Amino acid sequence: MIMYVLKALWRHRTRTLLTVSGATVAMFVFCLVGSVQEGLNRLTTGSDADRTLVVFQENRFCPTTSRLPEDYSNKIKEIPGVREVMPIQVWTNNCRASLDIVVFNGASPAQIQKIRPIKLISGNWQQFASQSDAAIVGRNIASRRGLKLGNQFSIGDISVKVAGIFESKVPSEENLIYTHLAFLQFTRGLDAAGLVTQHEVLLSDDADPDRVATEIDAALRAGAVATKTRRKGAFQASTLSDLVDLIGFAHWLGFACVGLVLALVATTTVMSVEDRMKEYAVLQVIGVRPMRTIRLVLAESTTLCLIGGAFGTTMALGALGLGGFAIGAEGATIAFRPSWALASSGMFVSLIVGIAAGIAPAIQAATVPIVDALRRS
Amino acid sequence: MALVELRGVYKSFRKGDETITPLDNIDLDIHAGEFVSMMGPSGTGKSTLLNLVSGIDRPDSGTITVDGTEITKLSRSKLADWRAANLGYIFQTHNLIPVLTAYENVELPTLLLKLSAKQRRQRVELALEAVGLSNRADHYPRQLSGGQEQRVGIARAIVAHPKVVVADEPTGSLDAETSEQVQVLLQRLNKELNITLLMVTHDSNVASIASRQLVLDRGKFLEAVRS
Repeated sequence: MIMYVLKALWRHRTRTLLTVSGATVAMFVFCLVGSVQEGLNRLTTGSDADRTLVVFQENRFCPTTSRLPEDYSNKIKEIPGVREVMPIQVWTNNCRASLDIVVFNGASPAQIQKIRPIKLISGNWQQFASQSDAAIVGRNIASRRGLKLGNQFSIGDISVKVAGIFESKVPSEENLIYTHLAFLQFTRGLDAAGLVTQHEVLLSDDADPDRVATEIDAALRAGAVATKTRRKGAFQASTLSDLVDLIGFAHWLGFACVGLVLALVATTTVMSVEDRMKEYAVLQVIGVRPMRTIRLVLAESTTLCLIGGAFGTTMALGALGLGGFAIGAEGATIAFRPSWALASSGMFVSLIVGIAAGIAPAIQAATVPIVDALRRS
Repeated sequence: MALVELRGVYKSFRKGDETITPLDNIDLDIHAGEFVSMMGPSGTGKSTLLNLVSGIDRPDSGTITVDGTEITKLSRSKLADWRAANLGYIFQTHNLIPVLTAYENVELPTLLLKLSAKQRRQRVELALEAVGLSNRADHYPRQLSGGQEQRVGIARAIVAHPKVVVADEPTGSLDAETSEQVQVLLQRLNKELNITLLMVTHDSNVASIASRQLVLDRGKFLEAVRS
């Protein structure tokens, strides 16, 4: 019987092709929107989002305006529950939302190697540590900017030599460029000798993040600059708050895509069933049960959706994998990456939409009075 | 005991303000191996009676029993199962599935029975051979003549070895020569394979090939002729 379904689809190949194309485009957009949502979720709920704190200057949002004394790290280390403190100088080419944001993080090479979840795929740590203007570049930004090992890369007043390219299991890391802390501090225009943008605090396993954050802010209140300490996830969500609203809105775009596929496939299936009502009646005269008739129609609508969904999802995953897309604001980036979860949600949505689109015409085909349907020309 | 028994079958339709009664308290017995034809003017209920015997329509009252099964009591799903195992239907306009080849069209009813692939293949080949179309098995309906299409329709009707085959104007859309071939084929199926046939026709010549001829008018059988 599946042969009958496939041949019926092939018989009206123009209609089938148009429907599949529509479903492909809609599922492509659905997956892209899903990847943005996934990227944001990874950033705000990832493994280090709750167990890492970020100490930032109070009432400041853009990295260029947060200027904390570097030696705050010594005071932070003394607070119970703090395992490690990494002072970071951040430099970005654009504080506003951008699809081509370049973010430099200047920190101690030894701490970067020890703390950050990154792995060099070319170059070596020793070269990075020994050369003051050396940088290691995330795979995504290297791919986006065409950077290779040994290249000299300049943006604004910063000019670095690529000493390594790294990958990371945390997708947003792959959009960063790491340099020496001192190198960024002495960059012309920043004038940040002895200053850093933020301190990143790693907690011991038994520490309560909120208690430690409160204690850090209290301990530094007497210092030159007041601080605001938050969990890393909350800090990034706050930094990207404008984008979070936009992404929340884009979520509706995903639902609209699902609605579009539903309407498209339902229309095609209704047309197909109307055209072949007599055929379905003949099948029932031969002995095909009403439930089997329903399954035949559902198989048709589901096949259309699954083919379109498979193409759309594959194209979206391919584009995400090859494109290395990321959106960022104020030094934080959301990476759009392909994932198995995205692939399976694309196919699952296609399956459900295929069934939903076919239900009404399937019931119509199975319950139409056979004699009336046979009289149709 | 008759293979097909109709008792007090009554069927009426509403057409605007008018009530039409094509079948009014009909009784009919058809025995196994019989070839029965039904004639009558248009709108006298011939096709309605055929549809009732096929279980694709239901009477307002009365009972229809085929081989001991009272089909008027069966649900739509059960009727579908019953038709798959017991009934062959030959349409006037062939009604082959256009996307399937002659072989696949004939194979369709066998897919609904518990048969192995080998048994299915044997039955389809035998059915196509019986209607003389073994060499057209891979052709699609659009590649066949009207007569060939009707023969595929006949092969499809007999492939499941049904107890009863009903034919609704089987020669109605064919030219004289092709009609003659189909009549010979139907007679052969009845005599050689002992298939019980109930045929509706307008044509008295076609009706005369049956072993029993019925004439239906205003909801009643007017006469019964045995040839």
